[in-house]
Amino acid sequence: MKNSFDFKSMLANAWVQGAIPPALLIVLVIIVEIGSPGFLTGETLALLLSNTAVLFILATGVTFVILIGGIDLSIQAVASLASVILAQLLPSMGLLAFPVAIAAGLVFGILSGVVHVWLRVPSFVATLATGGVVAGMALWLANGRAITIEEGGRASTSWINATIAGTPVVVLIAIGVGLASYLGLRYSRFGRQSLAVGAGEPAAYAAGINVDRTKIVAFALSGTLAAIAGVILAARLSSGSPSLANQLLLPAIAAVIVGGTAITGGLGGVGRTAVGALIISIVRIGMTFVGVNIFAENVVFGAVLIAAVAITIDRSKIAIIK
Amino acid sequence: MRDAARLRPCKRPRWFRCLFFPIFHAGCSLLTVNSETMKSMSNMEPKTAMQSFWSRAGKARRWRAFAPLAVLIVLCILIAIANPNFIEPRNLIRVANSAAVPLTLAMGMTFIILLGSIDLSVEGAMSVAAMVLVLLATNDSNTNHYGWFAVIAAIAASTAMGLASGFLQTTLRIPSFMTTLGVWFIGLGFSVYMLGGSAVRLMDENIRALALSRFLGFPLAVWIALAAFAVAIVIQYHTRIGRHIMAIGGGEDVAELSGINLRRVRIMAFGLAGFFFGVAGVLAAAQLGQSNAVIADGRLFAAVTAVVVGGTALTGGEGGVLNTLVGVLIVTVLANGMILLGISPYIQQTVQGLMIIAAVALSLDRFNLKIVK
Repeated sequence: MKNSFDFKSMLANAWVQGAIPPALLIVLVIIVEIGSPGFLTGETLALLLSNTAVLFILATGVTFVILIGGIDLSIQAVASLASVILAQLLPSMGLLAFPVAIAAGLVFGILSGVVHVWLRVPSFVATLATGGVVAGMALWLANGRAITIEEGGRASTSWINATIAGTPVVVLIAIGVGLASYLGLRYSRFGRQSLAVGAGEPAAYAAGINVDRTKIVAFALSGTLAAIAGVILAARLSSGSPSLANQLLLPAIAAVIVGGTAITGGLGGVGRTAVGALIISIVRIGMTFVGVNIFAENVVFGAVLIAAVAITIDRSKIAIIK
Repeated sequence: MRDAARLRPCKRPRWFRCLFFPIFHAGCSLLTVNSETMKSMSNMEPKTAMQSFWSRAGKARRWRAFAPLAVLIVLCILIAIANPNFIEPRNLIRVANSAAVPLTLAMGMTFIILLGSIDLSVEGAMSVAAMVLVLLATNDSNTNHYGWFAVIAAIAASTAMGLASGFLQTTLRIPSFMTTLGVWFIGLGFSVYMLGGSAVRLMDENIRALALSRFLGFPLAVWIALAAFAVAIVIQYHTRIGRHIMAIGGGEDVAELSGINLRRVRIMAFGLAGFFFGVAGVLAAAQLGQSNAVIADGRLFAAVTAVVVGGTALTGGEGGVLNTLVGVLIVTVLANGMILLGISPYIQQTVQGLMIIAAVALSLDRFNLKIVK
């Protein structure tokens, strides 16, 4: 009994210290290499990375919120709304549709943050509510249908689907977002303050950190990145739809947690999320490869999420687990 | 730690404080007098010298208890003025019929929110129940025709899911919203997988009759929802588990000190919620005449809106199934009114989301919480 407990705490420690996820990723890559040699080269690798890119951008946004100890359940709605706005505005506004769609994400991210902070609503309910608001607006704007981006609009989105020196632009965007987030989290005042808020809110207050502002900025970043992910998704699929990103909420949160960011906040980062997103992507491809039904994937992700939370959660931080 | 929290400046404008502070203090004293302040000690700032506010507290509480009902009545009057068709018997029956599934769902959700937890697995549990029902009863995809046994199996499946989420979260000690987020997608993935991604029609006449045949003018589904409501009332006010749920929501440490088995009550509450979700899944499948991947879409949202708008506090221990009945009616009447007034049905989720925010904002006890995650 004692031994098994030690093993469990060792596993938990190694995971939150960031040792296990990269090891897991390497093991997965090796398994894929053995199962199908040459799979991770050239075009298939590019495809894998492009598929991971959208997931990674979404997950990076949630990472900011999870780091302050909250959760954002509105990202899939915001991403879908951004895709709808892009598809609606491309014919009339051309490239200007991109900043408009992304600004919508920023606005709704700030709205989530404001509802959470000013009205003192727990973040999962606040974002559930704003997610509903956003989903309704997306349905209304799109009139409940998927909007195809026609030939004229595709001229403005083709740059996203292009490749530069063999690397898909999507991957470059994801790398850019990842680097900016990494540096921002590590070297900016906001980054340090958000880690402090996640690690211990009362201490952060006492140290004079503007906790409310930090939280709102985190939600704003989450909304903005969700919108960027939605825009990319729309460009890749040449369509915008109010339910475009609905299947991405769970994998995005799972990527953050599996990467080793603790749901209780204060521990983790963008690098870990990148590892987590790659793990999720490879597991997904692996499942398709082994022949797991595409509908059954959610079952696996749900189980992975619960297991990863159970391992990485810092129970000393929550007095009562509700 | 508490001192640090107290340092926090109040950012709300002055008019806001003038308007709400009496009620806010009243809320505190109310909790103190009821000795419910033990609720997560670290989050709450105990107030002293609040006794003078006691009388005002009583008023505030009474006012708040009736606020949802007042909203419902005003809403009905406004819609009836804008479009007299609203009060036609035919339309009222339609309202009752569309309230049946949300009411049953919200009964389950109420118990969970009374605990201070949340159950995000509504849609998963409901779709599993609908899937089990449709695949076991007479359908157009296989040769099963187990009749009423299918109904029992459906409800049992979703009850088992509820028990499983309760068991998982108490065993692994992780927050309920994370556990149920996982269970939601496990259930949804499983049911869509079993249905093969298509819609399977329900062809058992007896089960379809739940939605089609009427008693005293109302479809049977309405009566079943009312029966679920009655069961929920009995559970909340007349059984030990109901009182234990209230006690845990009011203050977990106090409840534990007074000898309540937290773990068992929690698991049973989630099982209970699963039971109601199962009944709702059966009703939804009977109404729709089929089961598909999106049968439960948007139900989580409607259920949470109904419970919160009815006045049950997200912190737990305050409110109950009566509040939820009013909340469900507000949500359904508003949806019906919007259709009557010719407002796009797509905007409904937006309105519901705004209602959640407004309702939570108005339940002022929240301002006692210093740390909200």
